[in-house]
Amino acid sequence: MSMDAHHKPSETAGESFVKPDAGLQPPPAELLELAAGLREAPPLGAPPGEEEADQERRAASPWRESLRRLRRDKRAMASLGLIIFFVLVAFFGPPIYQHIGGVYQSPQNGPVPASVYHSYYHEELIRQDEGPSAQYWLGTDDLGRDILARLMQGMLVSIIVAALVEVVDIGLGLTVGVLAGYFGGWIDQVLARFTDLMFAFPGLLFAIMLTGIIGPGASDALAKLPIIGPNGNGRLLLVSLALAITVWPLMARYVRGQTLQLKEQQFIEAARTSGSSNLRIIFRHIIPNLMSIVVVASTLNISNTIIGEAGISLLGLGVQAPGSSLGLMISDATPYINTHPWEILVPTTVLALIVLAFSFLGDGLRDAFDPRSKD
Amino acid sequence: MLQFLVKRLIGLIFVIVGITFITFIMGYLAPGDPIRAQMGDHFDYHTWQMLRHAYGLDLPWYQQYYNYLVHLAHFDLGISFKYQNRPVWDILKDGVPVSLELAFWGLVVELLLGIPVGILSAIKANSWIDTLNMGVALIIYALPPFVIAILAQVVIVWIDSKTGASWPSSSWGAPWQYDWTDLQPKIVPILVYGAAGYAYFARLARTTMLEVLRQDYVRTARAKGLHERVVIYWHALRNALIPLVTVLGVAIGLLVAGTFFIEQIFNIPGIGRISLQSVIDLDYPVIQATVVLLAVGVVIGNLISDILYTIVDPRIRLE
Repeated sequence: MSMDAHHKPSETAGESFVKPDAGLQPPPAELLELAAGLREAPPLGAPPGEEEADQERRAASPWRESLRRLRRDKRAMASLGLIIFFVLVAFFGPPIYQHIGGVYQSPQNGPVPASVYHSYYHEELIRQDEGPSAQYWLGTDDLGRDILARLMQGMLVSIIVAALVEVVDIGLGLTVGVLAGYFGGWIDQVLARFTDLMFAFPGLLFAIMLTGIIGPGASDALAKLPIIGPNGNGRLLLVSLALAITVWPLMARYVRGQTLQLKEQQFIEAARTSGSSNLRIIFRHIIPNLMSIVVVASTLNISNTIIGEAGISLLGLGVQAPGSSLGLMISDATPYINTHPWEILVPTTVLALIVLAFSFLGDGLRDAFDPRSKD
Repeated sequence: MLQFLVKRLIGLIFVIVGITFITFIMGYLAPGDPIRAQMGDHFDYHTWQMLRHAYGLDLPWYQQYYNYLVHLAHFDLGISFKYQNRPVWDILKDGVPVSLELAFWGLVVELLLGIPVGILSAIKANSWIDTLNMGVALIIYALPPFVIAILAQVVIVWIDSKTGASWPSSSWGAPWQYDWTDLQPKIVPILVYGAAGYAYFARLARTTMLEVLRQDYVRTARAKGLHERVVIYWHALRNALIPLVTVLGVAIGLLVAGTFFIEQIFNIPGIGRISLQSVIDLDYPVIQATVVLLAVGVVIGNLISDILYTIVDPRIRLE
């Protein structure tokens, strides 16, 4: 990351200060900062090669070394904390929230328990567009639905879509990328052509088209499947699929490039001369060495996926009411931007925070796993 | 050069055929009958059969696709399903100048704001100006365009309500007209539209400029006793701009992705909105046409940036 360049000298200086007791408990962060501040920072242009080589020698393992670097990146750690917080809220928030609060005597619907009025789909039509209150912690939307409940459901949707897309992205990207890089030949040619096509074809356009054309029919067809069911979840699956199709070629390209490099290295040659089969080389020697690039690329991709899902739902092609998604909440609140800006600000802010957290974490991971890629 | 152009044109044709095939086959395999969906409650078997025949939908898929390609080669985009006597081009033609105008000014914002800011950051590296610029650019780049658009709208509405001004929060003037009433609604959407690319160019310009400033010839120029301004603006800047040309393609891709949201949120009657409407209407000929138009735009943008690359850097030969 280019803007981190000025952190780099002091960081590496801090590192060499800590190194001697690398195996022990690392000193508290304040001490490190003090040390970094006291040390004279090397000039910006100086090649960090020597220090890095030094590091490499004393490190327990590259993986642990990277995690150590990541732990020292405050922005990435704060982002990770925020992500964990959001995930916990999305999974455990709704059941807890639905047990808070007594029975509400609704003039319209009679007595309503908290498990209903704190659900993301219940409409109290006479309690529209309210501000935060003890009953509705973040207020209600234009149909009298609880904004906090819808927000948590929307976060859950974002996380589930991101997870589904990443499973396909990693699975397909890793498989095709390794095969193309390791064996070359026709599979490499097909991959190259396919990625060319996908790069010319804006991914979002493809996703919009797929969900728009197949969406209405697919949500009916998929609603009959047991786990998915009605409630717009079929659309969700379709959105995930559309996004996954557009992202995996990039992952495959990264993996292919890395595999090509690895293939030429001596340890692979050694493995081959000692009689390892191709399969064994791929699983024992290539794939473990691809893990860092896969982790970094997929984390950076998650924020794109979440943006994609929210965007498609915003355009009215993704999750359908009564389901909830951050994008759908934004689109529902758009007509009330003049009168109740709160309703649009809440989902927009949460979406912005999630997206920023994932891209900062991804940047931090990249810097940690490949320090030379900075700037 | 000629060889390269021919090669790229063949590549262009390949991409267009691929894209038309994907859009075609998606419409073909989509569940439900588009003609029947258009007819709704007025379904009548005889008319339905007649329409299917008129649109060539009763042919096998390869013949449909072949006809489609032949028509496309004659710049004939077909006839809309929804408005049954309007050619697709008739529906698109009002949107094209609007989207082109938006894209043009968006690109101007990206380049003329983004690059100077990035260069300034590199010259004042690690000062508070640099930190501020890059912090802002980082956040803008990470945020999705529609979030920026909505935040901008909220700010407009808030200012309007506080000051009693009536700055429009969503509309568009006559395309390529710049009277105040036409210009006023365009300013904010254009700035928002260019924002993502602005951040991208600002960050990239800073990186490339820093790299160039570390080069030996810059040190030589300084050692000769040249004025710092000459070193920066004459020796360094020209070389720092080269890599920026190559990413014009990326910038155009960002613009295309942004079209849908900016046009939808700011209520701008461009290609993005027309294509969204056609997706909702299941008007396949219009969808196919917009997809092909946008994809061709991206491919041509990439081609132009490749050609510019050889012009600004004569060391590069296109093979």
